Amino acid sequence: MAAGIIIDDVTKVFPPNVVALKNVSLKIKPGEFFVVLGPSGSGKTTLLRIIAGLEVPTKGRVIIGDEVVVDANEGIYVEPRDRNIGMVFQNWALYPHMTAYDNIAFPLRIKKLPKDEIDKRVREVAEALEISDLLYRKPAHMSGGQQQRVAVARALVKQPNVLLLDEPFSNLDARIRITAREFVRELQKNLGITTILVTHDQADAFAVGDRIMILKSGIAQQIGPPEELYGKPANVFIAGFIGDPPMNLFKLKIDHPLIDTLNVKGYITKHGNIVYVGIRPDEAIASTSLENAHFIGKVILVEYVGSRRYAKVNILNEISMRVLAEENIRDGDEVRIYVKKLHLFNSNGKRICTINP
Amino acid sequence: MGAKRKLLKGYRGGLLGSPLKWLIANIVAWTIGVLWVLPFIGIFMTSIRPFSEVVSGWWSVSPFTPTLKNYVDALFNPMFSLLRGFMNSFIIAVPSTIIPVMLAALAAYAFARFSFPIKNYLFVTMLFLMAAPQQMTIIPIFFMLNNMRLLNTYLGLILIHSSWGIPWITFFLRNYFSMLPKELEEIARVDGATNRQIFFKIVLPISLPGIISASVLQFAWVWNDFFFALMLIFDPNKMVITQMLPRLKGQYQIDWGLLSSGSVLAMIVPLIVYIIFNKYYMGGFRGWAMKK
Amino acid sequence: MKARGSILSKFSFLIPSFILIIIFVIYPIVATIILSFNINPVPGIDITKGKPIGAENYYEVLLSFKFINRHGLETLSFPMGAIIHNIIWIALHLPLTIILGLLLATLFQHVKGGSIIRSFIFLGMVIPMIVGGLLIQFSFDKDLGVVNLFLKITGLEWAARSWTIYPNTALFSLILGSVWLWTGFTVTIYSAGLASIPKETIEAAVVDGADFKTILFKIIVPQLKPVTITVIAMTILWDLKIFDIVYASTLGGPGGASMVLALLMYDYFARVQNYPMAATVATILTIVILPVVVIWVRMITRGK
Repeated sequence: MAAGIIIDDVTKVFPPNVVALKNVSLKIKPGEFFVVLGPSGSGKTTLLRIIAGLEVPTKGRVIIGDEVVVDANEGIYVEPRDRNIGMVFQNWALYPHMTAYDNIAFPLRIKKLPKDEIDKRVREVAEALEISDLLYRKPAHMSGGQQQRVAVARALVKQPNVLLLDEPFSNLDARIRITAREFVRELQKNLGITTILVTHDQADAFAVGDRIMILKSGIAQQIGPPEELYGKPANVFIAGFIGDPPMNLFKLKIDHPLIDTLNVKGYITKHGNIVYVGIRPDEAIASTSLENAHFIGKVILVEYVGSRRYAKVNILNEISMRVLAEENIRDGDEVRIYVKKLHLFNSNGKRICTINP
Repeated sequence: MGAKRKLLKGYRGGLLGSPLKWLIANIVAWTIGVLWVLPFIGIFMTSIRPFSEVVSGWWSVSPFTPTLKNYVDALFNPMFSLLRGFMNSFIIAVPSTIIPVMLAALAAYAFARFSFPIKNYLFVTMLFLMAAPQQMTIIPIFFMLNNMRLLNTYLGLILIHSSWGIPWITFFLRNYFSMLPKELEEIARVDGATNRQIFFKIVLPISLPGIISASVLQFAWVWNDFFFALMLIFDPNKMVITQMLPRLKGQYQIDWGLLSSGSVLAMIVPLIVYIIFNKYYMGGFRGWAMKK
Repeated sequence: MKARGSILSKFSFLIPSFILIIIFVIYPIVATIILSFNINPVPGIDITKGKPIGAENYYEVLLSFKFINRHGLETLSFPMGAIIHNIIWIALHLPLTIILGLLLATLFQHVKGGSIIRSFIFLGMVIPMIVGGLLIQFSFDKDLGVVNLFLKITGLEWAARSWTIYPNTALFSLILGSVWLWTGFTVTIYSAGLASIPKETIEAAVVDGADFKTILFKIIVPQLKPVTITVIAMTILWDLKIFDIVYASTLGGPGGASMVLALLMYDYFARVQNYPMAATVATILTIVILPVVVIWVRMITRGK
């Protein structure tokens, strides 16, 4: 039974006074695949551990389904075992002395299910995860991808209400990683289980998440579906954090010539003297032949990121930015640059708007 | 779903189960901790009070008359002056620490970094010597030192302690050196340094924590040793403090006043070493017992 | 790294240590074995007392009531002989310290101030063992001892006595006392072992609903197997070499009721002054220790 999760104003302070989470609130719908994305030290794993019951919040409460599992203010606490949670740890935490079978059977043996019932369920979940032929191997004799599947199987075998995944892909090679993401995503959709995944890798987050929360220094920055985070970043941090290659961000005075060139003055007059202008490399293009270009620049460097070709260009002799490059462009060329979309932020880094100049 | 528990202050979740179980576990742990130190508290309480006050238990606190008489009696005992013993223990323990640590450091480096014939045999020999009982060596040592006119001398005992310390210190430092990054030594070698220069100029300085660990533990063990001193020193003026203690017992009636202050004096030095150098002491201790 | 330099320059690192070891450790060990067969190993003085060369000392020791006391064994009363006392020591001390060490190390990892309690328990390892012996005698004393205080508190006042001075309780008191001293060792080593277990494996089990007992025996203990082997080996070695504690508290008495091998050797050396017999007891002690040492050495040299 998929259960919704409510995180209500959760704060976690580690002694003496390290604030890991600050007033985090969010609602996760039943069956949703929710991703918590943040750099290391942002408090994302702490949040996951609080949901699991491995940590207790300093303030606030967590509700799973219709039950309050922890409420620091009221002094209510439900032990991890009673929360019916499946969890996959970053290093998978397989018991090294047990075979895959015994690892997966462990949660059921704890519940003292009858032997044949355990066997049936272990084999079912192994079948679903395509690890039936690994069942009698120990973790040391499995590849990373196989260990991960066993860990997921162990988490799913007790048919939990909620699945928690702590950086499940970070120990995998780049190649396996892509298949692993697809696999987890499909599995989650098929089972319809409410899932929370914690990661520092935006590619992970965008590949699997229905919605994503961005966490920085324990503070929730933005919650929304991937397109929204990419298309309408709430602040400069998110704008810079999301997208690969990262957004070009310039802190400009209002009378800077670039502001005129881009013709955005009208949007920012109410927002003080200084603004941030953000242009995604993928939302601007450098060409030698464009008619309606916004400005002219000089190519310093042409490089590939993934399969796309980008030019690093110098504009107005002071600003350099990365934009998509047409094929014929070479180092040292004079190019015209057309900006499809740009993002404006006020001097505090808060989003003003996104426009098509 | 599950049972709701009362949340307790300081509870962090985890292995011990519900907040209540966790609280009970805390109480049990601290009770055990206190029980464990009771004999220490007892001997200390006895040592600072007249014996007449503690004859029916050191825990009775009325009357409570603190006095240093027991300490004065022990330190200036006419037969076995613990002040003398205290100084003798230092005279023995300091060189018995410096000599083996210096020599064993060299040997440990050879075991850690060089390849040479019979290396593994020599290393296994060291391991076996680490585990040998002192009783297995003492008779020949006794007569050898006698022949060398070193029986009943500081030097004789220092030589024995130094030799006895070398195997375990070699073992400990070999493990320590093996875990140092080789790159520093390789760069020095590229720069043309000899083995000896590399050892003294590069390895030794960066191994200071390991050297301190070995020294702290060797010092404490030599200080604490009883058997070698018992066998090799007879002159009351040269006896070490651990050796004097049993002799303060008295023939028929145990004088716990004297013995308690003596015990405190004998253990105060290793205790202080343990407290001050705790990190090194424990590092050395774990390194002595375990491979990594 | 391939160190350069001649064999000689490499050996020069070893020579100072090995000179001392050969003269003051290896040669004495060999000499002790030789002496146990009544061959004089030390030039300049005959310490064999002119006994004929042979293995006679071994018969004499093995048949001695100080070594194994048949009467004591048959009537289950002390003394039973030094080797039996050592065996009893291991039989009680080993399981007690291992179980205590494992339980307490796990407990201290998860309670508030666990490392402080751990350092309390470790104090027994810090002090001179001769003081340890005195503290044991002190704690078992009829009037002063904390053991009898607890008996009085729990209404067992009739049982209060100076436990170390009666043949039937002397050895057991010392063994209990040695548990008190040595638990610091097992707790410390197990704590280090616990720290090397990935804590996620324990947390995964917590999330799966395992209780303390299940986690301890199903998750922690299996992962601590190598540590346990080390602890067992070191504990048995310590039990067999036990000397200071007994010397300080009972001197092996009363009437040999707490005599152990190491002390028996000293007895032959210092009181009886029969050096070949003392050498024989020392050699027997070493032979008894040897299998444990071999296991321990294998354990250390394996996986290099």
